Amino acid sequence: MAATTPLPEPVQVLDTSGLLCPIPIVRTAAAVKGLADGDVLLVIATDAGIATDMPMWCKAMRHEHLATFKDGARWKSYLRKRPRPPRGLAEQKGSA
Amino acid sequence: MKKQGKAIAMISGGLDSTLALAMVRAQGVEVKAINFYTGFCITETQRRKGGRQDGTMPQNEALRAAADLEIEIEYIDISGQQYLDMVLNPKYGYGANANPCVDCRIFMMKKAKEVMEREGADFIFTGEVLGQRPKSQRRDTLWAIEKESGLKGRLVRPLSAKLLPPSIPEQEGILDRARLGDISGRGRTRQIAMAGELGLADWPQPAGGCCFLTDESFSRKFFDILGQREAAGEPRTIDRDDVVLMTTGRHFRISPTVKLIVGRTEVENGTLETYAGATRARLAARSHTGPVALVEGVATWEERLLAARILARYGKGKDQPTVEIEWRDPDGGVETLVVEPERDEARVEQLRI
Repeated sequence: MAATTPLPEPVQVLDTSGLLCPIPIVRTAAAVKGLADGDVLLVIATDAGIATDMPMWCKAMRHEHLATFKDGARWKSYLRKRPRPPRGLAEQKGSA
Repeated sequence: MKKQGKAIAMISGGLDSTLALAMVRAQGVEVKAINFYTGFCITETQRRKGGRQDGTMPQNEALRAAADLEIEIEYIDISGQQYLDMVLNPKYGYGANANPCVDCRIFMMKKAKEVMEREGADFIFTGEVLGQRPKSQRRDTLWAIEKESGLKGRLVRPLSAKLLPPSIPEQEGILDRARLGDISGRGRTRQIAMAGELGLADWPQPAGGCCFLTDESFSRKFFDILGQREAAGEPRTIDRDDVVLMTTGRHFRISPTVKLIVGRTEVENGTLETYAGATRARLAARSHTGPVALVEGVATWEERLLAARILARYGKGKDQPTVEIEWRDPDGGVETLVVEPERDEARVEQLRI
């Protein structure tokens, strides 16, 4: 985690320490709802599963996953809220 | 001209629900996936223990499926007392273990119906396959689930749709019945072939098996604790703490009203520590290093000694003539029991739940 370009300053920090799959994601989803497009959220977790969950959740929800890494005993995960494409558009794209 | 529709997908992330997801989306329907958190999730417990025994961390399969197909997913937490009450008193009874699958489906479908209405969606679909499970996926049960959840005609099983009566979205032209499936039974050959055609590369084996209620060893502890509550004259119920403890440690039935739980790993010892107090005594060896244990129920002197002897056999003092066990009562009273580690393996095994 030798980051040369620093991660953007989060507008909100969500601490999910002590919570396990899927609750950190449930809380993340609720927090992201309250953010504006482009805002950065920092999620702190002790469930090591965050390392796989957060990138997958961001891909499903089309938010931008910035980084997830271990920082001491806890995990830190950064994401940027992205607007969802208009209804139907993306769904059509994948169909044959 | 096909009408654009919206659907709510109930997914586990197993092969069947992933296929159903791909099939419906391929018809141009906007899909939102939902997954339920019941509190009986095996993945959650494995993560509490720091991963599987082989060192890998279990994936959240529903999340993986949604990510693969880039489908919006929402988790719905149903792990409250209302869900536990259903598990304790299922109208349609249990499967082979403590699994009330039919009642659970109805419970989830009712919640899914709320999401459908909130999202303005046209229908709900699942990866259920006719005749795949002995009880919950029989034709009559699929129908009962649909009726009881108030979803008549709006619950679609894309994999078996051609074998079931046409649903409302099929009649309305949102779904093309000709492009839905006619799969039934336990085999998975056709699903695997379809996965290849749809370009799906990854799915868990076995499909979606993330529920402790279907687990034989969990189920034994589940019914055992209900028996303990009844024997103690307490209400026949369980709470969230009971569920966590049922997935932690070795369990021994000391008497009809007294149970011993011994930690197997450092993580389990830590979990047990956090549940000591309120109604559970905390035990640990004082003279040697060893696991932490909890005792539920009011133990007689003899029962205390038996619990201490069993605990002593799992610590570093197991080959010593005696071990000092510290017994901390829920009210804070502490005493030290000096016992010989229990050496009669057959007896210990007999007490194991």
